[in-house]
Amino acid sequence: MSEVVVKMEGISKSFAGIKALDHVQIELCKGEVHALMGENGAGKSTLMKIMTGVYTKDEGFMYLRDEINGEMRQIEIKSPLMAQKLGLSMVFQELNLLENMNIGENIFIGREPVGTATMIDKKVLNEKAKKELEKVKLDINPSTSVSSLSCGQKQCVEIAKALSFDARVVVFDEPTASLSETESRTLFEIIRELRNKGVCIVYISHRMEEVFELSDRITVFRNGTYIDTVETSKVSEADLIKMMIGRDLEEGKKKGSAYINKQKTVLSVRNVTIFPNSSPISFELHEKEILGFFGLVGAGRTELSRAIFGIDPIGEGEIYIQGSKVHINCPRDAMDVGIGLVPEDRKGLGLILGMSIKDNMLLSKLGQLKSRILNKKVLKEITGTYIDDLGIVLRDENQEVKELSGGNQQKVVIAKWLAMTPDILILDEPTRGIDVGAKSEIYTLMRKLTEAGKSIIMISSEMAEIQKVSDRVIVMHEGNITGELSIEEATKNSIMQAAFGGIKA
Amino acid sequence: MKTDQTKVLIKKMQSVIALILIFIVASVICVQDGKNVFLDARNLMNVLRAVSENGIIAIGMTMILILGDIDLSVGSVVGLVSTGCAALMVWNGLGFIPAVLASLLIGAAFGFFNGICITKLKLQAFIVTLASMNIARGLARFWANGVGIPLTYGKGEGLAPPQFEVLQMRINGLIPVPAIIFLILLLIFHFIMTRTRFGRQLYAIGGNRQASYLAGINVDRIKLFTFMLCSMLASVAAMIHAAQISQGGPNEGSGYELNAVAACAIGGTSLAGGKGTMLGTLIGALILGMLDNVLGLKGVNSNLQLMVKGFLIIIAVFMQAERKE
Repeated sequence: MSEVVVKMEGISKSFAGIKALDHVQIELCKGEVHALMGENGAGKSTLMKIMTGVYTKDEGFMYLRDEINGEMRQIEIKSPLMAQKLGLSMVFQELNLLENMNIGENIFIGREPVGTATMIDKKVLNEKAKKELEKVKLDINPSTSVSSLSCGQKQCVEIAKALSFDARVVVFDEPTASLSETESRTLFEIIRELRNKGVCIVYISHRMEEVFELSDRITVFRNGTYIDTVETSKVSEADLIKMMIGRDLEEGKKKGSAYINKQKTVLSVRNVTIFPNSSPISFELHEKEILGFFGLVGAGRTELSRAIFGIDPIGEGEIYIQGSKVHINCPRDAMDVGIGLVPEDRKGLGLILGMSIKDNMLLSKLGQLKSRILNKKVLKEITGTYIDDLGIVLRDENQEVKELSGGNQQKVVIAKWLAMTPDILILDEPTRGIDVGAKSEIYTLMRKLTEAGKSIIMISSEMAEIQKVSDRVIVMHEGNITGELSIEEATKNSIMQAAFGGIKA
Repeated sequence: MKTDQTKVLIKKMQSVIALILIFIVASVICVQDGKNVFLDARNLMNVLRAVSENGIIAIGMTMILILGDIDLSVGSVVGLVSTGCAALMVWNGLGFIPAVLASLLIGAAFGFFNGICITKLKLQAFIVTLASMNIARGLARFWANGVGIPLTYGKGEGLAPPQFEVLQMRINGLIPVPAIIFLILLLIFHFIMTRTRFGRQLYAIGGNRQASYLAGINVDRIKLFTFMLCSMLASVAAMIHAAQISQGGPNEGSGYELNAVAACAIGGTSLAGGKGTMLGTLIGALILGMLDNVLGLKGVNSNLQLMVKGFLIIIAVFMQAERKE
């Protein structure tokens, strides 16, 4: 093993009396990709935020190798700026770029090169920015506005910003969550190059394949405690899962599609055009079926769900529920014909973070209540049922929903829609950013719902999820349907082929 | 853990604690010639009466702030409606009930105008109500030719219906009618905010507009309705104000919008939307009113009073701010 750059030990941190980290440790070496794994709430991001100065630790010590004399010395990180100056940077899950400024200004914010009379020297700024952008293979003029960039490009700008501090450690928090396949590839290349240059990469991710592909070592946390650090080559996927959740994962057994009622079409979508240049698409959803929608980012799946749910105009398209045509102009209309939508952006669109769990769960039910005056007892019965059924872990139903973990938040969103008893549920990336344990619970729940007579459309970018959960798979590419596969036909190859537009790989 | 809960409770109750503190301090310092001028029943009722106009406006403002918007036009609506109802009664000979209905209608119309501009034209509430603030003020001055319309009660031409005078009376010569109206309205809206669908939807929209829309809430309709309610509440305050000063004045009510916002903010309503309660607003209004009263009793220079009030708002909002570590 090469030399250690950062060492943290005995680190503890509490938020409002709840321990997020309990005497954890980590050792980061020069020139390694160090994966950090664990369920949501395990404390991965918290530890990295302590290292990069976003949070301050309650207890523990941090050591950093001195660049000049090469000795480890103890250090207290007091602010993100201090961490950055010491070469410790983090690329956040939610990108932190200023949308109203251009690329160069973002990279050098607060450290703009100044010329005469303390005016910002734009020429120097752009030249310097261009050099940084080259390191991340982004060939764009630095004076381009950030708001016009794609998600992947923005991430590259973030990385360039981190590198511009001569970073010794760069932390990536779920970097591929919002990237397309090609963008992810580029990112991996950049990461490998950085490693070869001796930078230490900390890689936080829930995606097994990525971790196995990229990392040299893996550190696992569970419930705010340190479990172990292992070499990637010496560990199996099953071992890792066991370390993360502390038990073997119960595989939601694929029940086959025996109970699906193929004779009965509950939803039929006809001639919906997603993008101006794509051709109209049609598909049908059968009763008690889980229909998976796979596609790369930008395939138009979310747009399709928005059109069905009445958020965006549907144009020439037609929607039939149980064989009769319906007109859906707003979400309320969609709800009235029995459709619910669990959106991809849980925090932005699914939940009202500052509201209580209880109130969030009742939100879509409100419109259905006969009385305008709320009956606390009735409402309590409803919330109680779903908290039990879905196994939502909470302290108190009046607790603010933002205090819950990702998995529990998602369950609240699902409960919100179940409360209005829809026949059709559209789930857009239902397990994004959710830990392994909660994921399998959500799969089991989806099964239970279809068995009980509901029909589900599941949009997902995760191959394993699509294969495991769906009864039938529709693959989209640039707004067109490029494949419709029964679950037997839905091999990884056939799905990917369709996802790339049906071109034979 | 226990101390954490106590901390949370103290934080929740701090405006009540502040109110009690001010009350105690006032009771102690206002003793003159062996007589407590503050704790005097009549004086306390004066506080209530003085609070009620601002309080009624603040009820509407609380809802608007919970939505995440603001309504700057309420002060001018007070001027317009007090002028309007005086003009309709004195010049046009309208009876009590028609005059009250017409006043509420003027308020509703202004709220409707604000609401339509915000929801349909998609303009920001701040700008829209800043504009309608000028429109209402201008209209009021135009209507009354820039001067106040005195109210003399009686039957016959040029006299206001005697029932209107009730708005400035005291029951048993002690309890002011405006205070009763204020407290009744407060209770009604407290119930609306806590126990009805409409209230729940207001909090939801203020918390996350987009998510509320996706949950099937008709965001535009609720906003429109709330702006109408807010202006109508301002109209109620306007009628009380006209009765109190015995005239309808086009220049009345200036700055009322900010007093209402101050009462809400002291009472813990967040200007970012999604948070706030009617009881908090009651406390906020009482704190402001009591402070005015005490400073007045102690003969503090009115300009200094203004400064004290300003600093108080900063302190109150600072104490309520949710600070991250």
